[in-house]
Amino acid sequence: MLTDASTLPIHRLSFKAMGSACEVVLTANTAPEAEALAKAAIDEVLRIERKYSRYTSNSIVAQINQQAGQGSVACDTETWSLFQFASQLFEKSEGLFDITSGVLRQAWDFRQPQLPSAQQLANLLPLIGWHQVVLKDQTIALPIKGMEVDLGGFGKEYAADRAAQVLKDKGVTHGYVNLAGDMRFLGPKPHGEPWMIGIQDPRHPDQVIATFPMSQGGLATSGDYERYFELDGQRYCHVLHPQTGWPVKHWRTVSVTAPLAVLAGCTTTMAMLKEAQGLEFLESTGFDFFAIDQAGEVHVHS
Amino acid sequence: MVQVWAEVAVAVTKHAPQLPELGAALLSAAMALPCVMGNAHAESAPEKGVFSFKYLNYKERQQIGADANTGNAATYSKSGASAFDDRIRVKASASSIMVPINAEWSMSGTLITDSISGASPAYHTEALTGMKDFRRAVDTSLTHYLPNGTITLGMSHSGENDYISRGVSLIATRATEDKNTTWTAGVGINRDEINPANRIVFNETKRGTDLILGVTQVVSMNDIVQFNLGYFNGHGYFSDPYKIYDERPRDRSHQTLQARWNHHFSELSGTSRLAYRYYTDNWGIRSHTFDAEWVQSFGNGWSVAPALRYYTQTAAKFYVEADPSLSPFPPNPPANAQYFSEDQRVSAFGGLTMGMKLTKQLNLDTKVDVKLEQYGQKGAWTMLGSGSKGLAPFYARSLQVGITHSF
Repeated sequence: MLTDASTLPIHRLSFKAMGSACEVVLTANTAPEAEALAKAAIDEVLRIERKYSRYTSNSIVAQINQQAGQGSVACDTETWSLFQFASQLFEKSEGLFDITSGVLRQAWDFRQPQLPSAQQLANLLPLIGWHQVVLKDQTIALPIKGMEVDLGGFGKEYAADRAAQVLKDKGVTHGYVNLAGDMRFLGPKPHGEPWMIGIQDPRHPDQVIATFPMSQGGLATSGDYERYFELDGQRYCHVLHPQTGWPVKHWRTVSVTAPLAVLAGCTTTMAMLKEAQGLEFLESTGFDFFAIDQAGEVHVHS
Repeated sequence: MVQVWAEVAVAVTKHAPQLPELGAALLSAAMALPCVMGNAHAESAPEKGVFSFKYLNYKERQQIGADANTGNAATYSKSGASAFDDRIRVKASASSIMVPINAEWSMSGTLITDSISGASPAYHTEALTGMKDFRRAVDTSLTHYLPNGTITLGMSHSGENDYISRGVSLIATRATEDKNTTWTAGVGINRDEINPANRIVFNETKRGTDLILGVTQVVSMNDIVQFNLGYFNGHGYFSDPYKIYDERPRDRSHQTLQARWNHHFSELSGTSRLAYRYYTDNWGIRSHTFDAEWVQSFGNGWSVAPALRYYTQTAAKFYVEADPSLSPFPPNPPANAQYFSEDQRVSAFGGLTMGMKLTKQLNLDTKVDVKLEQYGQKGAWTMLGSGSKGLAPFYARSLQVGITHSF
């Protein structure tokens, strides 16, 4: 007996991962079947979270950071390919996308509206620079004590892609994986219509300012409203420039759709970091995007 | 096989629509990440149906008054004095439809009608005999999409006044876990009934079995290679009832080896397609085919694809060489020869095809194309030995227009 996927009900399964609300949406005959499918995807997300969390002391990332200035750490194939990808991003963004810039968190605590001192930043900036990292024979060495790598820049999107692939391998052809707004789609709604995905208004996060019709590929958003504080009328957001150590200012929000979530994610981040050159950068990628600059002007390419 | 090839190519390019350099470079980098992108096409039926209509106009001509002893027409183009006889003319149309039934199944069907008219030589390139025929052929197939592959069951029927052909085929593909390698295996069985108008034979049949084995490998974001092995074994009436002195073995088997390589040049927005095919059979015919095509994309959905093909074959061991000194009589087959043929198609020759295809993608779902091909064939153009002598050069040109629409 054949089951026609277009008549199956849609199931939404929520879970928490990487400190945020996430969900798997898919079609399946029954709720238990949907749960079994979603569990495989969620397990994959949790595996990646455990493996690359900088908070877990035995994670590969924690080991590499502990060895900074002391020696190299051997990488498994997956980790190695993530570092290779990071190298590509570093190169393509002319050094703006830098997975060693996480050390700036020591100077910026977005729970307090407090600016770091010039000395604080001056101490941290020498620890940033992917070009200083030694990658050789599938080993990585951070040359200076105190240097850190952090895969947070695309780990969540990578997890969304991997989880989606798990579902795809199990035959899921309608649905998506949503990790706190970073999404990867497996196919349209059962009858072929796209999923309509709302983009938050960066100044009224409870309102939708644009809608993306999505069936395939990835969608990611980066904005100055996710983690920030305001001081003296000035907004300081969590996207930090690796060369100055200061938050970027040009964009309120950037959303990108691309064949993969990981690609959409790194493109939004790079656009934020490019600031005034972000628009030109977005246009040169060929991906569809929706962006609002600091003056509130909307830029769209679709 | 061609379809499998195309599907894999689509799987790679579908997610990489004509991206500018930066987007393509980023995508290429991301695709190196483990398992973030599978080959969706090997697993689920296409989301859209496709309809296409093609019209073909094909016309042959053969030089008369050339230096038939060498088959060399080098003088003709310079003097422009040689005359040509029109030979076969074909007007054909093909309508195809592919409909996804659900995520796991799809159906396809093709209807081809062609009308053939003109004149065909009764031996070598001489003694033209008029002919007219109408053929109708129907191909249908059903494809089942599995998690790691597909199974396609096909049936075909083709009928004209004097020839009916029926066939069934089963083709399975299987992709590896990383989806970069696709294996293909297929078997086809054919049964033909031959009742020529001249009643030289009556209710003759021909049966054949085809086996294919292939592998397609995605080597990188920009490269796909494919290797195919083919084997055919047939028994029955392989002679041409309309030729004088044509008595061919009732057994035929052939083996083919084919290699293809498609490379996309991102910086040029172009794709090169190179292919080579080796063929050998138990009649003594060996052939080489070299194909080279360049597909250049321009903006606004335009693309141009110039193509070049060189084909060369040895003669069948029972081929009887032409002897223009005997004209208008055909040479007699050697005394006591069991098998013989004076058909130029089993002679030794080389052929060159030049083609140009222009495609315009009108919108996401519709594209139109025009293809013009010019073919030339001469005994002297072979690269295997010296080629058959005494045959007039042969030319053909074909014009094809088509429209493809997804729905």
